[in-house]
Amino acid sequence: MNLREYQTVFTVTIGVLSLVATFPTASMIVPFPLGKDRFSELWLLGPEHMAESYPFNIRVGEAQGPVYVGARNHMGYSQYYMIYVKFRNQTQPLPNATASQPSPLPPLYEYQFFLLDGEEWEKPLMFAIQNAQFNDRSVFIRDISINDAPFSVNCYSTLDSDNVGFYYQLFFELWLYDASSQGFRYHNRFVGIWLNVTG
Amino acid sequence: MIFMSRLRLSVYFVCFSLFFALTSCAFAVEGEEAYVAIDRAESKLVSAYMAVFKAEEAGANVSDLWNELNSCVQVLSKVHVLYRVGNFDEAVYFANLCYDSVAGMREEANRLEDLAASNRRQKFLLTSLVSSFSMVCIVFGGILGWRFFKRQYCRQVLKSKPEVVQ
Repeated sequence: MNLREYQTVFTVTIGVLSLVATFPTASMIVPFPLGKDRFSELWLLGPEHMAESYPFNIRVGEAQGPVYVGARNHMGYSQYYMIYVKFRNQTQPLPNATASQPSPLPPLYEYQFFLLDGEEWEKPLMFAIQNAQFNDRSVFIRDISINDAPFSVNCYSTLDSDNVGFYYQLFFELWLYDASSQGFRYHNRFVGIWLNVTG
Repeated sequence: MIFMSRLRLSVYFVCFSLFFALTSCAFAVEGEEAYVAIDRAESKLVSAYMAVFKAEEAGANVSDLWNELNSCVQVLSKVHVLYRVGNFDEAVYFANLCYDSVAGMREEANRLEDLAASNRRQKFLLTSLVSSFSMVCIVFGGILGWRFFKRQYCRQVLKSKPEVVQ
């Protein structure tokens, strides 16, 4: 190596070391992107805390569950969540995933909670059909209870001849507090279980 | 006689109507009162949440405040459920409880945010000082090192004897 080449090596080394020395200060001014996907998890587990053995054949007056509803925050910062519990028959609308719209049905029960980034939340939920009226080909459910709180649903279902049963769905929507609109907005995630009301 | 019985019937009817009107009005006020109490608690909770969120962004340690907020928000969920099932008395009671629990949290979050901002400023100052000092050391050290190396190199070149090629 001649002197000019040595000079180049020295200059480059000094430049690199200077950059290393300024990095801590630069990182405090310029935020570096985390480069990870931002999302929230929502899940529903059965009584054994597994994704199986969900309550299905439901008798009126019998307590069902617990089913475990949970959420985890992967949004990169703390979030204010809300979960709405809703009840529907086969013809009533579910949330629209394409349009990111929640179901227009009124919520029965709700959970609100704050989660730090990476944190999870989970609660058990018990429910029971309290008052139902059976005819040959239809059922009319008046009341259900969720965690011992009674709710009037007045929900009618006709016999599903393909699957032979009277089907309803208990589902959970995840909502997120949006500071810009100063309100909750639907976070486009829902989970649910089908229930066959047997008598 | 008939007139008297009709009059009595009318009086009963008026009393009955008044009773229903007044009791339904009382229930409406109760529902409205619950709604106002919930709205007040909710606004307070959201403002506390925004303050805690800002404090966290500023780098403050707000884990205690998050725990307190979570306790309050659980109560608020209960309040909404109580309101939906028409239990307005308990809804108002718990809404007020939530409001009282949240009171002062925003101020505490703002205090922690200011503290975090001040710590951040100090840290930034210290880091930039260390960075600047390191850079100066690297540049001057490099120049001195280069000069020393160049002198040694030249001395070595001058000392070396020319190679005779036959």
